[in-house]
Order: sequence, then structure tokens, then C-alpha cells
Amino acid sequence: MEKVLSKIAEVTSDPYGYVAGLKERKNKKIIGCFPMHVPEEIVHAAGLIPVVIWRGNEPVTWGHAHVPPYDCGITRSFVDDAVRGKLSFMDGFVFHIRQCLQAGEFPFIMERHFKPAYQKILYLPAIYPGDATRDFALKELESFKTSLEDFTGNMISDDSLKKSIEIYNKNRSLMERVYEIRRAKPEILKAKEVMQIVWSGMLMPKEDHNELLAELISGMEEKSITPQKERIKVILVGCLCQTLQFDILDLIEDLGMIVPDDDLYIGSRYFANPVNLNGNPMKALADRYLTKSPLCPTKGVWDIHWGDEAIKRMRDNDAKGIISVRVKYCPPHTCYYPDFRSKMAEEGVTEVMIEMEHEIISLEGVKTRLQSFAETIGGV
Amino acid sequence: MSTQYKINKLDTSGVGPLVDRHWRELREAKEKGMKIAWCAGPMFVYAYATPNIASHFMAGYAAYCGGRGMADEVLEAAERYGELRDTCSYHRLHTGMAAMIMNDWPVSNPQVLLPMPDLLIGGRFCTEMSHYMEAIHRRFGVKAVTIEIPSARSREDLPRLEKFLTNQVKETLIPAIEEVSGSKFDEENMRSILRPWKETCIIRNKCWEFFKKKPSPWTLWDYGVSIAPVFYAMGKPESLEYYNNLLKQLEERTEKNIPAVHPDGEKYRLYWDGWLPWSFLGKFIRMMIPYGAIPIAGRYPWEFFPHPEDINTEADDIIHEWIRLIYTSPNTLSYHDGPWGGQEHIEDLIQTYSIDGMLFFSSKTCRMWNLGQQEIIANIEKKYGIPGIVIDGDMIDSTMVSEDQIRTRIEALLETIDARRR
Repeated sequence: MEKVLSKIAEVTSDPYGYVAGLKERKNKKIIGCFPMHVPEEIVHAAGLIPVVIWRGNEPVTWGHAHVPPYDCGITRSFVDDAVRGKLSFMDGFVFHIRQCLQAGEFPFIMERHFKPAYQKILYLPAIYPGDATRDFALKELESFKTSLEDFTGNMISDDSLKKSIEIYNKNRSLMERVYEIRRAKPEILKAKEVMQIVWSGMLMPKEDHNELLAELISGMEEKSITPQKERIKVILVGCLCQTLQFDILDLIEDLGMIVPDDDLYIGSRYFANPVNLNGNPMKALADRYLTKSPLCPTKGVWDIHWGDEAIKRMRDNDAKGIISVRVKYCPPHTCYYPDFRSKMAEEGVTEVMIEMEHEIISLEGVKTRLQSFAETIGGV
Repeated sequence: MSTQYKINKLDTSGVGPLVDRHWRELREAKEKGMKIAWCAGPMFVYAYATPNIASHFMAGYAAYCGGRGMADEVLEAAERYGELRDTCSYHRLHTGMAAMIMNDWPVSNPQVLLPMPDLLIGGRFCTEMSHYMEAIHRRFGVKAVTIEIPSARSREDLPRLEKFLTNQVKETLIPAIEEVSGSKFDEENMRSILRPWKETCIIRNKCWEFFKKKPSPWTLWDYGVSIAPVFYAMGKPESLEYYNNLLKQLEERTEKNIPAVHPDGEKYRLYWDGWLPWSFLGKFIRMMIPYGAIPIAGRYPWEFFPHPEDINTEADDIIHEWIRLIYTSPNTLSYHDGPWGGQEHIEDLIQTYSIDGMLFFSSKTCRMWNLGQQEIIANIEKKYGIPGIVIDGDMIDSTMVSEDQIRTRIEALLETIDARRR
């Protein structure tokens, strides 16, 4: 188990080096998929390696000449990486520009500074009622598939797509198993390690990640845990598109809390909902995109409540409170948050929101908030 | 600054009464048994064209509150309700107003309050635009219909996006309007509004042409405040009357060589990008005028609304015809609001209107027009040698506007223009 975790930590500690090396080792082209909703299976079926674009590891410098400081962390960090040439190993990019406004300017900036060999703009629609939405989403995915066929010169057959979906579904079920064991034995992994496990799956070929997960699960199943002290269970919610600073995750645990489950993008949201393998695979991928739960505020779903989902997760895990992680300048989450908080108040759920930025976070300020939260729910 | 420049505004006083009447009628509509629709995005026209529905649209209300200095109180109410500061200020304005109404909070200026809607029409043109509809639906249970209106990033995408929007409007929006109004959607009524509207907009476009004159007889701010009659008196004779009067003034000024800036016209002709800062129009122009600088042309005030002059009011499918304006018509809003189309359009504007420098207004809470602004400045400067700057603030939120910082940047732009002229 330690060996696997060490390998995973290696991948996530230097995603640039890892992905560049991957390209050499596998002799395949790399396609960066901007989070959160690009169906990577289609890229995989085209014989390419899809990787999910990540928030960088350095403060933004040159990027500020290209995007305003009031764009979110991953937007500024990704643009900074691109204009500084840190992503030169990428052969192409896919941007779903209807997710949020900020995603809409990447292709324009990329064309001017990066000139990728392949670039695709996706207009996946908000999940509004009606057949028009479903038809359009399917056509968008078909146009994505065609663009990859044009780029590679290879047709993507239904069979090859189904094989890719199988590999991705396998990954989802393995990740679900990791979470299941974690729910039963929350002390078995640190929250930081869980995030690294999910994140590594966004960087590694899923086949390789599946092998690691199988080994990890075996180790997790065998390992018995005797908690040294009672910890207060909390659920993390939010943090769309990007990683959360590991320091914050450590801080949560240092304050006597433990995370048995989460509703984070680099967390359970990423591997939720397997793709149905019966029938047309493109339709099945469209159906997965059009699934309303877990609710994503970028998808315009208003007939179910994000707060209800989070509360259910909290109660299912016998957790005592919810920590919302909001990325500064993330409009979809920011717009939704007041209603999320109201729902918590209505249901008598203790919740705290921490705001994170890319470069600087005042850990002391976050610590104070979390400490007070932990005291409220009965910890520390 | 040896020359003492002074602004010589056009007479736009006809706007105020039209604005007041519009909002007064909306406030009184419920008492008259009408249904109320709050709308975001250009789909509001379908509600407007329904006789027993009185409609509001998001940007219009924000411009009204901002222009009348009433926004701060509502934004404070939104914050009290729990909205966060970096949320779109138009969003906060609406959720703040709804919170004031539903919680019966005291209000110093009752004019900010509108009747709560019977229908929310959320046109998701900007991906953030529909959030306030969703929020009001969740909070107060108001019926909502939301429509995806993707902005095109290439001209090739326009036809399929147009088809998608048409399908949605026919599938979900029109039936929702019919359900709320209790009557079948009246296409002929829509035509009867669009016919005079088209006529009005043709006159408006003639006025716009006067920005080509040197010196200019008016500023972009005169044009900006004149947007109101297009919406607030849509399809009504007062709207046409207003623009005919405006055109007459412009013709007279041109004939008599009366410029928008005394004593002898503008020294700097500036392009203005992004939203008009409705709460701060006076503040911004006062930073420019002492130097003889005026905003001449802009992408948003020209593009932000489909151009009815391009519409065929007799088209068999008038529902689709309106959508065509957003996509495949010559003045394609959907393409020009994005960075590629935006740059094409700005290049055209700076050449056509003899622009000396560019001011890109970047909103801290609304990124719709911010996309690619810094790239566009660099691209245009490289191609045409015309300098540009970004000034950041907000359309209506006074806490987001730093006057001194903006003034310094404007001064820097004008100095750059001077240096290049030498």
C-alpha cells in the first residue's frame, strides 16, 4: 500500500515531468482536457492520452498579462503555464466553454501563444429540460469524435469506444471501492492521499491507474485500523475544477477532524456515474453528461438541491458537519453558495465555508475558522 | 492642458420620462391583472410580445438602478441575504431586490422594487446569467424556464447554434409563456412590435453613423443613454420620435460644426470596450473631458442587442427570425461578443471611426466582455499601432471602482497617444 501511495505521490508532485515522460514512454500524443466535463473516453478511443488540466505549482507571473487577477486560480495558473511554455509537451487541448465564462477565453489565448496541433471547443449545454438539449449534447459529442478522427486519421469505432468506456468504468468502480473502504475505515488514508489518488487518475493512463488501484485496494482491505482517538467526521464539498491545497487538508486532520467522504471535483464527483455500456456508446456518454447528480452548479440544474445531496452524504457517513471549499472567483459555486448555506441552516447542519486562492492563502485565518467549526461540532 | 475642454452633451432629456413610465407601468401591471416576467438575455422579446405579460429584463433594470444612483442599497440587501461580493453585480441586484420584497425589508427608494414575477425567463447567453433565475426559483418557488444560448466562437458554428436555440424556444419557452399568459402565443402581435421597432433602429443606426464625423457631434455616452427608448418604448411611436429628434440634433450640429467637446472638438477619439458603467457614466467622462478625450465607438453598446433592422418582420417563422438575429444575421451578436468575433469587430470600428486609443472596461464581477481583452489589445496594438489599456471596475457596484487608479491609467493612455503622435 505504501509503495502505491508513494508512486501516486510521485506522479502528483510533478505532473509536468510525469506527463511529459508519459508521452515519451507510451509514444502517444497528449490531449489536455480542461476540467470538469470533457468525456475523456472519446480521446482515449482515438489512441491518444487524455489528461485533465491541473492547477500549477507556481505563483502566476506572466499569466497576468493575459487574464485579469479576478479570474479563478486554475484559469490564471493554466494560462500562466501555457504562456511560459510549461505545457509544451501537450499536443492538443479540449475546452468546454459553456461551463463557465472564464473557460471561454482559453482557446483564444492558446491560438496566439501556444498554437496547439489540435484544439477543440465544446459547447456542452446546461442541462435544461427538453429534447433539444439532449439532441444538441449528443451532436456536440459526435463533432468532438469527428474532430479527433480528423486529427489522428483513425476512425473511432463503437467497439473501440466501448473498450475505452470499459476501462474508464473499471477505474470508476475501483475508485468507488477505495472510497467504500475509506468510509468504513476513515483513518486508513489521509485526506491529502485521497486527493492524490483521484488526481493521479486524471494524469495517468487509466489502464496504469487501474493496476495501481487494484494493488492499493488489496492493501487497504488487508490493513486493520485501530483509531488512537475519536475523530469528528466531516464532509468536504465544492472546490470545483482544481486541487485543494494539501496544507488545508492536513490542517483539518490536525484539528481533530477526519474526512470519510467528499463531494469534491478532485474527489468523488470525478468518478461518479459509470457509463452505460448497453447500446450506443455516444448516447451513453451524452447520458452521463446529462445526469443531474452529483449536482454541478455549472450545469444549470435547478430542480434538485445541492444542499440536499451534501446533507445526505453527511448523514450517510455519520458526519457532524460540512466544510465548503469555495475557489475564489468561481462564479458557478459563488452564485449557488447562499442557497447551499441556507439549506444547511434550514436543516440544522453545521457548515463552514473556506475560500481558497491559487497563490496565497492565509493559513492562519483558515485555521481559526476551522478551529471554531471543529469546536462547534464537538471536536478539539 | 492649455485648452479648457468642456462637454457639450446632446439633449437626451426625452429619455427620462420614457424610462420612468416603463418602470412605473411594470410596477402597476400586477394591479391591472397582468402577469410579470423577469427575463435575462435576448429571449425577453417573446414575453414582451405577449399582451398580458409585462416584462422586465436584467440589464435594463441594472442600468436603471445604476443610472439613478439606486444600486447600492439593493446590493447591500443582497449581501445581507448572503450573496458574496464577487458574484455578478446584476445577479446580486436582482436577488437583493427579491430579498427586500419577500422579507419586507425597509427601502429608502421604493422605485427599486418591482413586482415579484410569475415567470422567470433565464436566457443563458452569458453562462452566469441564468444563476439568478435559478436562485430566485429555489428561494421563492417562482416558475422558471431556462434557455441555453451559446455564444459562437467561430462563424461556422452559427447555423447549428441557431437551430439549437430555435428548438429550445419552441419546445420550452413558448409553451411556458402560453401557460402563464393563458393564451396562445401571438406571432402577429410580435410582428406588430417589431415593425415599428425596426423603423426606430434604422434611425438609430443613422445616428450612429455620426461617430464618423470629426469632430464628433456626440459621445458614446449620449448614445448609451439613448439605448433606453429602444427597450422601454419598444415598438411604440415615442421611441421613433425620440430617435428622429436625436437625428435632427446631430444633423444640425454637423451642419453648424458644433462638436461634442468645446471649444473645437475632441483631441482624442477613444474606443470603449465592455459594459457601459451605468452608475458611473458621469464619473468616467469627467476623467476624460479635461484632456479633450471622448469615447466614440464601442462593441457593447452597438452589439449588445440584436439589430432589428436586419429582421424580416414578414418572415413566416417570426420566432426563428428573432433568433436568426443573434446568430446568422450580419450583425451577429453571438459571434461578436466572443474574443475572435470581438477582435474582428473592434478592428473594423477603430478603422471606421478613426480611433486614437482603446479603453477596455473590465468588470470585476461580470466576465462576459472581459474575455480575451488583454490579448485583443496586444493584437490590435501590434497590427495598427493603436494603444489600449484595461480599466477595471464594475457596472454598478461602487465598492469595485477605484477612481484614482482609473484616472492614472487614462492619463497614461493619452500620454502614449501623444508620444506616438510625435
